Amino acid sequence: MLQKHGLLALILLVSSGIFAQTKQLRGVVLAAENKQPLDGVTIIESKSGRPATTNSEGRFELQLTHEKSLLTISYVGRETLEVEVKADQTDITILLPYSTASLDEVVAVAYTTVKRSGYPGAVTTISSDKVNNRLTPNITNALQGLAPGIQTTSANGQPGNSSTIRIRGVGSINASSAPLFVVDGAPYEGDINALDPADIAAINILKDATAANLYGSRAANGVIIITTKQGKKGNDASINATINHGWSSRAVKDYDKLGTDQYYELYWEALRNKALSNGQTATQAAATASSSLVSGLGINPYGPDYAEPVGRDGKIVTGAKPLWNDDWEEGMLQDARYTQGQLSISGGGEKSTYYISGGYTNNEGAYLASGFKRYNFRSNLSLQAKSWLKVGLNLSGASTSQDYPTSSDSKQTNVVLFGRTIPSFYPIYQRNADGTYKLDINGQKQFDYGAYRPNAALARYNLIGSLPLNKSRYTNENVSTRAFLEAAITRALKVKTSFNLDYTNTNTLYYTNPLVGEDAAIGGTVSKTSTRFLAYTWNNIATYETDIEQGHHINLLAGHEYYYLSSSGLSGSRQNFALPDLYEPVAASQLMDFSGSSDNYTKLSFFGQGQYNYLGKYFFTASIRRDGSSRFSPDSRWGTFWSTGASWRISEEAFLKQAPWLSALTIKTSYGASGNDNLSSSNGGYYAYLALYSIENNLGNGGVVPSRLPTPGLKWESNLNFNAGIDFGILKNRIYGTFNYYRRISKDLLYAKPLAGSTGFSSVSANIGELRNTGVELELNGIPVSTRDWKWTVGINIGHNKNKITSLPQKEIVSGTKKLMVGTSVYDFFLREWAGVDPATGNPLWYRTTTDGKKETTTTYAQGTQYYAGTALPDVTGGITSSLNYKQLELSFILAYSIGGKVLDADYISLLSGAVSPGRNWSTELLTRWTPDNTNTNVPRLTTDDLSWTSTSTRFLYDATYARLKQISLGYNLPATLLNRIGFKSAKVYGLAENLLTFYGHQGMDPEQSVDGTTYYQYPQIKTISVGLQIGL
Amino acid sequence: MKAFSSYIFIAGLFASLTACNKQLNTAPSNAVAEEIVLKTVGNLTALSEGTWRSMMDDFYANIYGNPGFKTIALVSEAMGDDVALITTKYSYAPNYRFTQIVDKTQSRNNAIWNQLYKIINNNNIIIANIDRVTGDATDKKVLKGQALALRAHTYLTIASFFQFSYLKDSLAKTAPIYTTPTTDTTRGNPKATLKDIYLLIISDLQEAKGLLEGHQRTAKYKINKDVVNGLLARAYLNTGRWLAAADAANEALKNYPLMSPADYSKGFNDINNSEWIWGHPEIPSQSDGSYSFHFLDVSSSSSYYYSFMADPFFGELFENGDIRKSLFSWDNNPGREGYLQYKKFRFRDDQTGDLVLMRSAEAYLIKAEGYARENKITEGVAALNTLRTARGASLFNPVGATSAQLIDAILVERRKELWGEGFALADIIRNQLPVIRKPYVDAGGNDRLVTITTPDGVLKQVPAKYHTALKFADGTPFVANSPNYIFAIPQAEEQNNPNLYN
Repeated sequence: MLQKHGLLALILLVSSGIFAQTKQLRGVVLAAENKQPLDGVTIIESKSGRPATTNSEGRFELQLTHEKSLLTISYVGRETLEVEVKADQTDITILLPYSTASLDEVVAVAYTTVKRSGYPGAVTTISSDKVNNRLTPNITNALQGLAPGIQTTSANGQPGNSSTIRIRGVGSINASSAPLFVVDGAPYEGDINALDPADIAAINILKDATAANLYGSRAANGVIIITTKQGKKGNDASINATINHGWSSRAVKDYDKLGTDQYYELYWEALRNKALSNGQTATQAAATASSSLVSGLGINPYGPDYAEPVGRDGKIVTGAKPLWNDDWEEGMLQDARYTQGQLSISGGGEKSTYYISGGYTNNEGAYLASGFKRYNFRSNLSLQAKSWLKVGLNLSGASTSQDYPTSSDSKQTNVVLFGRTIPSFYPIYQRNADGTYKLDINGQKQFDYGAYRPNAALARYNLIGSLPLNKSRYTNENVSTRAFLEAAITRALKVKTSFNLDYTNTNTLYYTNPLVGEDAAIGGTVSKTSTRFLAYTWNNIATYETDIEQGHHINLLAGHEYYYLSSSGLSGSRQNFALPDLYEPVAASQLMDFSGSSDNYTKLSFFGQGQYNYLGKYFFTASIRRDGSSRFSPDSRWGTFWSTGASWRISEEAFLKQAPWLSALTIKTSYGASGNDNLSSSNGGYYAYLALYSIENNLGNGGVVPSRLPTPGLKWESNLNFNAGIDFGILKNRIYGTFNYYRRISKDLLYAKPLAGSTGFSSVSANIGELRNTGVELELNGIPVSTRDWKWTVGINIGHNKNKITSLPQKEIVSGTKKLMVGTSVYDFFLREWAGVDPATGNPLWYRTTTDGKKETTTTYAQGTQYYAGTALPDVTGGITSSLNYKQLELSFILAYSIGGKVLDADYISLLSGAVSPGRNWSTELLTRWTPDNTNTNVPRLTTDDLSWTSTSTRFLYDATYARLKQISLGYNLPATLLNRIGFKSAKVYGLAENLLTFYGHQGMDPEQSVDGTTYYQYPQIKTISVGLQIGL
Repeated sequence: MKAFSSYIFIAGLFASLTACNKQLNTAPSNAVAEEIVLKTVGNLTALSEGTWRSMMDDFYANIYGNPGFKTIALVSEAMGDDVALITTKYSYAPNYRFTQIVDKTQSRNNAIWNQLYKIINNNNIIIANIDRVTGDATDKKVLKGQALALRAHTYLTIASFFQFSYLKDSLAKTAPIYTTPTTDTTRGNPKATLKDIYLLIISDLQEAKGLLEGHQRTAKYKINKDVVNGLLARAYLNTGRWLAAADAANEALKNYPLMSPADYSKGFNDINNSEWIWGHPEIPSQSDGSYSFHFLDVSSSSSYYYSFMADPFFGELFENGDIRKSLFSWDNNPGREGYLQYKKFRFRDDQTGDLVLMRSAEAYLIKAEGYARENKITEGVAALNTLRTARGASLFNPVGATSAQLIDAILVERRKELWGEGFALADIIRNQLPVIRKPYVDAGGNDRLVTITTPDGVLKQVPAKYHTALKFADGTPFVANSPNYIFAIPQAEEQNNPNLYN
């Protein structure tokens, strides 16, 4: 079957250009309600893709390639129709009714599909055009700004990394708050990077109980349903190809840093101040500073002519100029390319459909040695095998490879931190004292590993030299299948069984070379891991759907599901390579470690759902599901979850049906309980009830240590979700939207209840505490302009969420920079409060509250009191999308925004440590330091003593508000007349940019950081600009 | 046909459902259930081995700055008189400046606290279950003795750092005592006094001594009677029971002759050294503890941080002829010129180094101090001079010496002999002394210059590096019994132990 279609497709591809034009069709398109002509309606012959447009009288002419043909007629604000042209027909009249816009589309929800109009659940749909052609290989990065109530943050922008997604707030404290991904009907456990966004037909985000709760145990944090593309029955093969080529760089500029002259002068000042406080006279102190300056930094970039480049007056001596100015930041960047190609062939016969695609993506990172590459294919087939039997198989595979140098953490090897840290007066290549390069015997420049550099300037590291010789690579092979068999036992009763499997094999190789750089002294290192990950879901579902006389519609569903996860890994490391250019462990002589482990996780579920509507006006749904999880003890592993919902399509009532301005109006509400068993591995992971001792071998002897206390009664965390909303469309659906209010209560939180460290455990798992997320969401779409030549659409979405802890096992829990208390959010900062710089002394001040309740300042950091200092969570998130078409031109953009919330910028702190860490880059903010002449400042006096002012405090809290132009595209569709001549259905050239502009407040910091508002020297977001070509045959 | 296939379908469904239900029982591959551990003495021994491993060879709280139990020794040394820390290096500058350990919110406090009490709980599990498990009676006796001794050692560590000297106030509330295993209903014990803690330490050690009588250990990391005696000597010294301290020390040192001068310069990385009573061997595949050498080893090129430099005044305490004197040299490497290296600790070639926990040299010094404080000058001098002789140092002249002079000499000798091994701050607390750090300058207040030979062979005069933190962070001078010397009980303990202050 497949072969035949493939052959057919190939023949079509070759021959489509030479088909004769068989007949001329004339037609007119009229508005269905008043028979007035419609101007600017698009008519396309489905088989050839030939288009035509109506004129102001609603008339069009089209050369058809086939005697019998199928036309697609589309117009903004109206239904898209498919109309058949009969063999002998030469003229046609088409009546085009109003569409109820997105309100009438069919959307995928748990285990089934529903018509959106009247559906009581809260579902946001993201159409394929918003995600298909994006300059990121990872679909999670493309969702930002596209749906209300979704907080999407990409803390680490390294190519191939995912975004963190929170639907309707943070729903758990210790268990996972991540939503469930469902791909083509089954929970997806593969690598999200294996999904090519170009294969996606639609994304539906299920946010409330009615829509999501049939997923029961996994629905607690919302569900993202991804449906991949399918062919259409009875369509000839349609071939689409997309090619993008672009260039990537950092989306925002890094922090501003001091130049060499400024650095030397300020460091001189710090040395002088320190000498003064040691009791030296002003003259002595100036002399001490001038003489010890160069040795303190380990280098004199002004050359041997200026042994003391800063004079006793604290200024660079006349004539002294830095002999070099090596930009390490620049050196750590690479000329990054973005290349993407995708080819798909889809179509169908009378009994089958097919969609076959292949893709290639090469997304090089802005920083050296980082990048992501993917080869992927997909084959979605469905076949009506018998009149009563339907089978389908979606098979996809991807091979990905991510070059992943360290890109978070304070490690010296962090590619982001490295270039930021080393000032430009340290040479990248070895130099003589006079500034000339020290060349090797071959006359080549040699990298300078800087053993002379102070620790803060990362002595003995030069990633610009060593990274190309090292490797840090993740390679993944992914296979994912979705197979089903559906039997229609009667017209009303259908039984479907489906088997869904996700398989990932992950290899990591981490290698440091034996010749140069950090591990040269130990002959280089290599570590390698291999992990096999397999998850399958088998489900069996029976549905019964029937209409009863007088307008009753019933849809019943019952099912069972079995879920199995198995993960098994090996890891080993060796060091000391005798020979270069060998990268595998076999070549390293010293065995360091070898280990391996495996895990299993299973779930068994039974569920049922009933949907009922009367006359398409009154809708009711109810569902129930029972889940058993292997994570819990046999006595408490079963949980029951349920939902109920109702809606009323008021606009269908007689009293509103005639209202001219109102096109659609539905009110809806739902309530239900879902579950969460997703404990992190540190809180018991897959085995959350046993008292366990983990293996800890000692010098060849078997060893164990206690790892967790028993929790036999531990059970499901549950999530009670209330939703009330309105769907509306006005002015003939030129404006339509949805408004929702929700209240999510997460109770019996799977909590790592903190224990006193003196008990020997830091926590015990328990179902304690309650969390509430309340919010409102508004989605508004409009079509302000729609004429023959112009079409403009605008969408805006706004989500406001408030997170509040409503119950805790104890009064307060401090964890890192946060404190949890009833009434606060899960991410409320709890920090020492910065009180500025003492104008009299230049010393830093913090607030403290004395035992009698007085708030005063202190110069000792440890004595400062910790106070609440606002939340990391934003008040409002959302996005604005718009597209503007003028004839063949189209311009569109997606802008994502986040308002409110705070970020504690520890990255920036590292540039403020100043003379405490000589040799590290200094922020330009240090120019405003306290001096006797500049007493009103926020930067204390300079000294080599540690005044602790860079210790974590509210001083380093910054507003996290930002907006980002996620995507902008400008395209030109080549005219049909030209395309007809060369046999193309469509062709479009365009320019495309991802993350082109960022609007934010705090210079240097990429505004997208972790959800909890902390930074960790992360890889910033990448901006990519590309040109591309899309061709349809 | 249709109906038939449906029946098959439904039958298959039910068959497989029953199978699935059994699959809901899973078990981990990297951990075992408690009931297995508490079955035999062999399995319980695995808990002892695991405890030891996690104590010595895990980065506490997964931070490289906390290389196992040696972390505490490094903190203690960084806060003393004789380590002129390079403050631009990783991890120990806040200790050196006295801003970290006093601050209950700092993560290192939490890491140390949690790990010490994990060790205590593990030993409590062994002690509570040893009589119930199956196995050889002698094995049980030895395991129990070792568990009691390790528990005592851990409480001794807590008593040495979390409160002022026992001799200042033995009734000072210090830290909670636990003697039974934690269960899921344990909510935390109140702070106990130093007196109660030392009562437990000494009774545990006495019991252990009996249980380990005659036991021949197979490796030096395992506790035997000599180790117990050494621990008893420390406990008695801390609590002012001078003669008992001297006696226990004398018992401890018997089988461990002082090393030869040649061995002294071999890098303090070999557990087979004749005078090591207790220590931990390191191997490449289990070497987290060796990471402490990255701080202490100031001369190997593979050492990452080499931050524990010696103060010049400390170097001046040694005379020529003393083997230890030969280990000093002024650093001549670019970027670190003028620091005084004391090359006591050095990595082995494979980047490991065994970790010392107790040496007979210390026992000699305890013996000397015990006698000296008991005013037994002759015996005290004899013990001190035994050590001095072995090191090639000049002898203490007992003629006309007072016990105070002898004690001063012994305390200086402790600094000289035990540098880098973790006694610096403990001795300052125990003896109620202030930290003493002075600028190494000439009469005019200018830095003193020393001569080095650069790697290029050029003679060069550079200023000698000395202490950079000469006062507390708030600018006040170092004083005796300062709260800045005492490890703060972490905020997490305060928050989560409702009984702490009861």
